[in-house]
Amino acid sequence: MAEKAHTSSVYDRALQSIKENLLFAGALAEQAIQRAMTCLLERDSDLGRNVIDSDMQIDRLDEEIERKCLDVIALRQPVAKDLRFITTAIKINAHLERIGDMAANIAEKAIALNEEPQLKPYIDLPRMSDTAQQMIKKSLDALVREDCDLAEEVIKADEIVDSLNDQIFRELLTFMMEDPRTIHRALLIMQIAKNLERISDHATSIAVMIIYLVTGRNVRHRDKMEKTK
Amino acid sequence: MKGNLFYKIFVTYIIIILLAMATVVFQVTGQIKTKLMDKIESDLTVYAEMINLTYSKEEIESKLANLANLADARITLIDAAGNVFFDSEAPALEMDNHLNRTEVQEARVKGKGSAIRYSHTLGIDTLYVALPMVENTDIRGYVRLARPLYEIRKTVGAFNMLIFQSFALVGVISFIIAFIFSARLVSPIQEMEQFTRKLKDGDISGMLLINSSDEMGRLARNINYIVTELQEKVNFANEEKGKLEAAFSSMTDGVLVLDNQGRIEALNNSFKAIFGIRRRDIIGRTPLEAFRNIELENAIDKYKETGLPVAEEIILGGARNMILDVSVSSILGLPKGEEKTMMVFHDVTRLKKLEKMRVDFVANVTHEIKTPLKAILGFIETLQEGAISEEDTARKFLQTIRKHSERLNRLVDDLLAISNIELGETPLFFESVALGGVVESVLAMINPRAQEKRIVLTKDIPEDLPPVNADRDKLNQILLNVLDNAVKFTPESEKISVTARLHEDNNHVMVNIADTGIGIPKDEIPRLGERFYRVDKTRSRELGGTGLGLSIVKHLMKAHNGAMDIDSRLGVGTIVSLSFPIFKSVEES
Repeated sequence: MAEKAHTSSVYDRALQSIKENLLFAGALAEQAIQRAMTCLLERDSDLGRNVIDSDMQIDRLDEEIERKCLDVIALRQPVAKDLRFITTAIKINAHLERIGDMAANIAEKAIALNEEPQLKPYIDLPRMSDTAQQMIKKSLDALVREDCDLAEEVIKADEIVDSLNDQIFRELLTFMMEDPRTIHRALLIMQIAKNLERISDHATSIAVMIIYLVTGRNVRHRDKMEKTK
Repeated sequence: MKGNLFYKIFVTYIIIILLAMATVVFQVTGQIKTKLMDKIESDLTVYAEMINLTYSKEEIESKLANLANLADARITLIDAAGNVFFDSEAPALEMDNHLNRTEVQEARVKGKGSAIRYSHTLGIDTLYVALPMVENTDIRGYVRLARPLYEIRKTVGAFNMLIFQSFALVGVISFIIAFIFSARLVSPIQEMEQFTRKLKDGDISGMLLINSSDEMGRLARNINYIVTELQEKVNFANEEKGKLEAAFSSMTDGVLVLDNQGRIEALNNSFKAIFGIRRRDIIGRTPLEAFRNIELENAIDKYKETGLPVAEEIILGGARNMILDVSVSSILGLPKGEEKTMMVFHDVTRLKKLEKMRVDFVANVTHEIKTPLKAILGFIETLQEGAISEEDTARKFLQTIRKHSERLNRLVDDLLAISNIELGETPLFFESVALGGVVESVLAMINPRAQEKRIVLTKDIPEDLPPVNADRDKLNQILLNVLDNAVKFTPESEKISVTARLHEDNNHVMVNIADTGIGIPKDEIPRLGERFYRVDKTRSRELGGTGLGLSIVKHLMKAHNGAMDIDSRLGVGTIVSLSFPIFKSVEES
């Protein structure tokens, strides 16, 4: 990473270019979720189709980042923090690619929902997507600033999204019990909520990777370990 | 703490003084010693000669003690073989052969001998002088006189004492002089050193105060001159910088400057406000790291590819939701390798919104007018095609045509009202109006419709409420429009209340119209005053609204110097607060 330059500036440039590609992929993912949710909330199906099409871009970047990381491993034999960065980059890359897929999923469901009248005013869903988007934004900011506090915030926010998901599930359940005609729409909304919940999980994983990158400390299974103690 | 230079000069002085004194002492004591030695030697020689000439051997023996006393010397008589046969201080028989002593040998060869030896018995250098006792050219023996050099030691000691005393005095004085002199020589240099160090650290205020006509003084004057020039230049530069910075930071457009590495180097206050970021979070980062805005990246890439200024529209997503015009261009006049990029962000959210509103307005007006017109045309066509002969149907159709025409009429009236208020062409007759009466009459008008939906209307207007300054008809219209909305959007059997009270500032009367209706989503509230804006489009039109009611209220409130505020929660209800200025008679105001 750029703080302490290597003797080889080509090496530095390779690492910086991986970082830039990662951030670009992150920006695309952020935008994809934003657009997918706008597609749902403002019933703008064109925007949704746009999201599905532009998922290709994230996929291409995914391949490129992976290739660049492997090149660095093969050519430079990175050690210490560089090695952590490369392994982290490979993982974050995979998470971002999945987030992109999920945004496309949300867009698909939103387009389907737009074909029918709106089931109910969306209140928890925008809240959930705002939190999830904030989480991705913060986790990428944490990557840029190497800021563990920010990463910890992301990890904490995951609970909010989880509880919102439960809340949406319970609410939709009552809709479906009252009127079977709503089942199709309710299931679509539920899938959207599930996707948002998964997105926030991916953001949490990214945050965990960043703590590992900065401190070398692995907090991945911290909760489970604390429970077993 | 004095600097090094002072010690160097001072120590040099002291060393010179000490060296001078040491040389003097060494030379003078040497000289004194030689002279005294010569004198003692000649003294002893004279005595020896005298003894030799005056006395016979036997006489000497008898008078030796006296002689030794007189000559202040030890007298030794030695025979030709070297045997001591008489000594004034030691028993002669115990003494060893003296023939090989330096002075005796010398006396034998040269006729006179002398030597200085350290006497272990006395612990001091002793001078020996020997002369041969000659009888008919035959050496019969030797006379030897010895005197310990107490005198020399004493004289040299006394002399050294004297020299030491005077040197101590001179030393102290020269020490002081050397100190003062070195200090005087060094102090302006130190002063200049401190001053220039201050300059180096960036403080360019002040002057050197050294009054001297020598090189130091000239050096100080030169430094002062340079500093004055520097001060002027820095002041000038600061002023220019201040002007530029003031312009830079008070610009309403956000500005971002990138260095030749494409990293953020500077930003102004507006930029911080637009993006809602902290300076330290983005300085030194690339725009991608800092913002991750795809459209911004595309604009920068386009600029990098073409090298020409780029103007693009970008959307700032998330909570900010802004539309910005960004122009990317290079900063001219910088040396090669230090090219900088400037990005100017102009907030066009409002403009875009207004543009959208205008487009929406035209679309809405055409739509609103076209719907009743289509119905009217359709019914007229049906009538023309024969329905007119069936009286019942014709009457029903005419009724419908009339309904739609009235709607059209209402729409045009409302539009006219709005545009007149906006243009300021609606004459308002301000007078003292008691709210109680107006509310009463409005409620009477609205009551039949409320009763249809079994809505309970309540009012709470205090008797002592001061009258408001308003146009009675328009006040009527405002309250009617708001209450009409309330009745329309409140489900059956709910409640609507009208309350009024004096605002804390004693200058306004607040009228609250609260319902327990369906409520309005929070993000829709700011758009409520827009023309044709409806939260629920289909339903509102069914209820016969033109979409202009609240817009008229908003404009009328503005014309009354009042304000409208809407607070609402979905499913709980809506409170519309209207504030009117209270009436003040001419004398009061």
